[in-house]
Amino acid sequence: MNKDKRPLLEVKDLTTYFHTEDGLVKAVDGISYEVFPGETLGIVGESGCGKSVNALSIMRLLESNADVGGSISFEGQSLPELSERKMRGIRGNDIAMIFQEPMTALNPVFTVGNQIEEAIILHQNKSQDEAHKMAIDMLRKVGIPEPTKRVDEYPHELSGGMRQRAMIAMALSCNPRVLIADEPTTALDVTIQAQILELMKSLQDEYGMSIIMITHDLGVIAEVADRVVVMYAGKVVEYADAVTLFKNPKHPYTWGLLNAIPRLDIEQDTLYNIPGVVPDPLHFPEGCKFNTRCTFCEERCKKEEPELIEVEKNHYARCFFIEKVEKEKAKTKAGENL
Amino acid sequence: MTAYIIRRLLILPIILIGITLIIFSMIWMLGPDRLLASYIKSPEALKTPDAKERLIAKYGLDQPTVVQYFKWLGNILQGDFGYSNIAKKPVQEAIAERIPYTLELAMWAIIPVIVGGVWLGVLSGTHHNQPLDHGIRIFSLIGWSMPDFVFGLLILLLFYTILGWFPPGYLSYESEAVLRSGEWHRYTNMATIDSILNGNFKIFIDAFRHLIGPILTIAYLWWAYVLRITRSSMLEVLKKDYIRTARAKGLSEKVVINKHARKNALIPVVTVAGGMLVSLLAGVVIVESVFNRPGLGRFTAQAATQLDYFSILGSALVFSVILVLVNLIVDISYAFIDPRIRLS
Amino acid sequence: MSVKKTEFKRMIRRYFKIPTNVLGTLLLIIFIIIAILAPVICPPKAGADPFKIPIATWSAAPVAPTADHPFGIIGGRDIFYGVIWGTRSAFKIGLVVSLISALIGVVVGSISSYFGGWVDEIMMRITDIFMSIPFLVAAMIMTTILGKGLDKVMVALIIFGWMRVARLIRGNILQAKSEQYVLAAKALGIPDWKIIVKHILPNTIFPVLVQVSMRIGSLVITAAALSFLGVGAEPGYADWGTILSYSRNWMTELDKSWFAILYPGTAMVLFVLAWNLVGDGLRDTFDPKMK
Repeated sequence: MNKDKRPLLEVKDLTTYFHTEDGLVKAVDGISYEVFPGETLGIVGESGCGKSVNALSIMRLLESNADVGGSISFEGQSLPELSERKMRGIRGNDIAMIFQEPMTALNPVFTVGNQIEEAIILHQNKSQDEAHKMAIDMLRKVGIPEPTKRVDEYPHELSGGMRQRAMIAMALSCNPRVLIADEPTTALDVTIQAQILELMKSLQDEYGMSIIMITHDLGVIAEVADRVVVMYAGKVVEYADAVTLFKNPKHPYTWGLLNAIPRLDIEQDTLYNIPGVVPDPLHFPEGCKFNTRCTFCEERCKKEEPELIEVEKNHYARCFFIEKVEKEKAKTKAGENL
Repeated sequence: MTAYIIRRLLILPIILIGITLIIFSMIWMLGPDRLLASYIKSPEALKTPDAKERLIAKYGLDQPTVVQYFKWLGNILQGDFGYSNIAKKPVQEAIAERIPYTLELAMWAIIPVIVGGVWLGVLSGTHHNQPLDHGIRIFSLIGWSMPDFVFGLLILLLFYTILGWFPPGYLSYESEAVLRSGEWHRYTNMATIDSILNGNFKIFIDAFRHLIGPILTIAYLWWAYVLRITRSSMLEVLKKDYIRTARAKGLSEKVVINKHARKNALIPVVTVAGGMLVSLLAGVVIVESVFNRPGLGRFTAQAATQLDYFSILGSALVFSVILVLVNLIVDISYAFIDPRIRLS
Repeated sequence: MSVKKTEFKRMIRRYFKIPTNVLGTLLLIIFIIIAILAPVICPPKAGADPFKIPIATWSAAPVAPTADHPFGIIGGRDIFYGVIWGTRSAFKIGLVVSLISALIGVVVGSISSYFGGWVDEIMMRITDIFMSIPFLVAAMIMTTILGKGLDKVMVALIIFGWMRVARLIRGNILQAKSEQYVLAAKALGIPDWKIIVKHILPNTIFPVLVQVSMRIGSLVITAAALSFLGVGAEPGYADWGTILSYSRNWMTELDKSWFAILYPGTAMVLFVLAWNLVGDGLRDTFDPKMK
C-alpha cells in the first residue's frame, strides 16, 4: 500500500440536503474523509445512512432538488466549482463509479461492448475500431471468458456475475484514479462476491488506483478496506484504519455492528442485533443521533450531539462515552478474530 | 423470437374468423325483412302478395343461421360483399374505388403525426415540470379532450370560411376536369402521387391544399396521444439506473437523452402504436365526413345514415382486417426493436 | 383503520396540491350543478319530454344569438336549451356506459385470469376479436341495426367498450398472482377466489377507477360523433353532438352557423377536459412512484 503524503480526494464537511415535499432531509450532514492514492477506503453503514448519497454528491449526479455544501477536492481541484463540461471530463475518466444492480445499471438495448466503447471513445478520442479492441481487452482482463463473443452481447444475455464484471470493465476502461464502488457485490451470490472482490483487488494493484468501497457488509470491509469510515444518520461516527477498527472499535455503533456478525468459534444462543431501527431522516432525535438504539446511552446523549474527536492517532470517534465500549470489550473479548 | 412470431401468425386466422362471426351476427340481428331490403333494388319487387316469401327464399334468408353464415363467408372470400344501394354497384367495387383516397390521407398524415408527437413528447419529458413541459401538456390535454369533428369544423371555419386557404373536398373543379381528360394517366388513384407521376405540379398543390385541413385535424388529436405516451415513457426511462450509469460515464445530457433514453422510451410507444391505429381508422370516418373527402370513411358514414347494411358491414370488415394486419406488423417490429424479445 | 384514514387524507391533500386537478374537479362540479339545475335554467314545456329541444322557429336558417336565445338557433331549435340539457345526457352516457362496461370488463378479466389455461386463452382471443373492429365503426353498425336513440347508443358503446378494462384487470391479477403476499396466502390454504376478492381486487381497483374516469371523456366524444353523423340520438334530442350535426347542413356557410359549433363544442371540450384532468390527477395520486 503506497501512502502518498497528499490525499487524492479530500472531502470536508460535505452536506447534502434534499428539499422534499415533506420537509428538509439531511441525507449527509457534515462528513469529512480522505482517500490516498492506491488505497481502498471503506464506507460502511446501514441503508439510509447517506453513504450512497455521499458518492453521488462527489460525482454530482444528484437531482436538482439536492443542496450540496462543503468542499470536495480532487487532485487539488474543487469539484463542486467545476463547470459541467469539465465535470463530465472527470466522470468515467478520472473518477469512475459502479453500482449495485448491474442488470438495471446497464442499458438493455445496447450491447455490452457498445457501452464500454462509448466511454473510451468519449474520453480517449479513439476510433470505433480501436475502442472495440480495447473493449474486448477489458472484458478479458476482468475475467469474462470468450470476450470476442461477449462484446456483442446484450446485458440480459450475461449472468449476474458477468454483468458486474462488465460494469467494472466499463468503469476501468479509461484508467480512472478513483473507483467508487457502491455496494458492488450486494446483489450477487456469496461465491461470486468473493470473485468480484478478488478481481477488484488485483485490478487495483495493476492500475494503482484508489477504491472507495461503499457497503453495509463488514465482511466486505474486512476483505478489501485499508481505512474505514463508519457512517450513521448522515454523519461519520468512526474513522480509522481497518485493523484498528476491528480490533479496537470506539463507537457503540461500530461495536454493535461487529457484535452482530455471527461467529462460528464461540457459542451463541441468540444472534445479537442492534435494537431499534434507523431513524426517519425527517425526524432525527435530539442530541446524538444514535441515542435511540445505544445501549450506553446517558442523559447527556439525549441533549448534546458529540463532536468527532481524535481518540488516538488517526482514529476518530463521535461519542461521549467511548470508555464504556472499552469496558464492554474487555468483558466479552469479541472483535478479536477479525 | 420466432416462437413469438409464429404464435402471432397462428392466432391471426382465429381473429379473422372471429371478426367474420361478429360481423355476421350483426347481419343476423337485422333479420330477414331488413336484409331483404338490401337485396332488392326497388320497392316494386315487393308489390306482389307473396313476393316477400318468394324473395326471402330466393336469397336464402330463411335458411338456418349456420348455413347462411357459411354461404356469406364463402361469398366474402370470393370477394362478393353484396350490393351497395348508395353506390349503385357491388360493395367490393365501391370500397376498392374509395380506399386510395383514405390511404392517401393516412399516408400523408402518419409522418408528421409520429415525428411531431415523438419530438414533442421527448421535449416535454426532458423538461419535466418546466414551463415548456406545462405548455406542451396543456396543448396535449386540450387535443385529447377535443372531439375530432369539432376541431375539424373549427379548422374549416378558420381556414376555409374565413381565410379561404384550405377548402373541403378532394380537388377543385378545374383539377377534376383535368383528371377526367384524356391526358391524365391514373396510376394510384391518389391525386398527390399521380400528379407527380404525371408531372403536373399545379394539381399536386391543389390536391395538397385539400389535404391540409384533414391532416391538421388528425394530427392535432394524434399529437395529443403520441405525445402523452412518449412523455410518460420518457419520464419513466429517465429514472432508470442505466441513465445514471450513462451520466456517470461522463456523457453529455444530449447523448444521454438521444442515445440512451430515447430508444428505450420508444419501445412502449411502438407497443401502443397498434392501439393508435384503431383511433386513426375511426378518425378517418369523421374527418372524411367533415371535409367531404370521397374515401372509405365517408362511405361508411353515408352507409350508416342511409341504412345500407351491406356497405357498412363490408366497410367494417375491411377496416377490421386492415387493423389486424397492421397490428401484426407492429407486434413483429416491436420484437425486432427490443433485443430482450428478439433474442429470447 | 386509522392508518387507512391518514393514508386517504394524504392522498386527498396530494391530489389537491396540483392546480390542474383542482381545475378539473372544479369544472366537474360546475357541470354537475348545471345538470342538476337544468329544469330550473331551462324549464321544459309542460308535459313535453325534457330531452327534446323545443322548436323555437320554423325557418330553416340558423339564427345568431339574441337575448331570448343566448346561444342562437339552428335547425329551428334553441341551442342554449340543448347545451344545458345536453349536460345531463353527457353525464348519463358517460357514467352509465363506463360503469357497466367496466363491470363487464372486471368480470371477464377476473374469470379469465382466475381460471387461466384454456379459459384464459379463449376469453382473451374473444377480447382481441372485439378489439379488432374500430370502436366508432362498430358502434355505428350497432346503432344502424338497433336504431336511433340515446339508449341504443349506450348499448352499442357498452357492447364494444368492455375490452380495455378486461385486459387491465387481467394483467393486474396475473401480476398480483405471483406477488409474495398472494403466495403466502396460498401457502396458508386460503382458497383462490377469496384471495382474488379480498386481496387482489382491492389493489387493482385503483387503475380501473383511473381508466374509467379517463374513458368517460372519450365515450362522450364517441357518442357525440355518432349523433353528429346522424346515427346517434334522435334528431332534436338534447345532446351536444346532435346540435353539432345541424351545422353539417351549413358547411359552406360556417360563418352563419358558428355559434352552433362554438357553444356545444366548448361545452364538450370542457366536459371531457374535466374528466381527463381528474383521471390524470387520480392516476398520479394513486401511483406512489410519480412525484
